[in-house]
Amino acid sequence: MRLKFIGVALLCAFFMMNIVFTQFMVHQYYYENYVNVLIFGGLNIVVFPLALFTYKKTKNEKA
Amino acid sequence: MPSDKNNKIPFNEDNYTHNIERNNERKLDRRGFMKTLVGAAGVFAISSLPWGAVAAKELLGLGDKEYPHKKITDVSKLAIGDALEFKFPGDHDDALLIRLSEKKYVAYQNACTHLRCPVFWVKEEGEMVCPCHHGKFDVETGVPTAGPPRRPLPEIQVKVENGAVYAVRVKRYEA
Ligand code: FES
Repeated sequence: MRLKFIGVALLCAFFMMNIVFTQFMVHQYYYENYVNVLIFGGLNIVVFPLALFTYKKTKNEKA
Repeated sequence: MPSDKNNKIPFNEDNYTHNIERNNERKLDRRGFMKTLVGAAGVFAISSLPWGAVAAKELLGLGDKEYPHKKITDVSKLAIGDALEFKFPGDHDDALLIRLSEKKYVAYQNACTHLRCPVFWVKEEGEMVCPCHHGKFDVETGVPTAGPPRRPLPEIQVKVENGAVYAVRVKRYEA
């Protein structure tokens, strides 16, 4: 793959992870497994700095 | 031919609506797309916080409040095989009481565990049915038996006292 799109690909992957974690978090909440809610909520939160870091690293990537 | 239309385009612009002020508003380049994705990650992170907060609250035991026992109905008013809607624990939490036999009552919070439509009792079939997407629930346990719901209905503990049925508390799922 062209290097130029690595950032986009990574960010899309993070986005997908966000969706999955959120879905899980909400369902686990209704199942009353509150520890799992905290775990997936926490994962959702750490994805943000990772995404920001990825953006900063790859925004000037050339083909 | 004279026309009252002015066919001149006044200026070249890259938007079709005239209320977008930023330059190149309608263009999306790679960097802009990446910014959007980072922003989305931020939104996800922020919106996870309230869930985490409520979960932490429940874990610390602040969530299991005891609600005052609430009278649902008199035993004499509910025939065997019939159901009655009531509210428990809050005024907006729909619930359903079903009398299965002389002594046996079951009660559930009847917001469907799929998309929260009200589940009702079908006496002839002996099961609880959700009208929205035809989810079905087992009346003895609240476990979904058909359709989209995957999670059992939360059961409400009831007791019979002095010829009346009371709602005691909402049972937790066993982990
Ligand atoms: S809301 Fe009950 S089955 Fe969809």
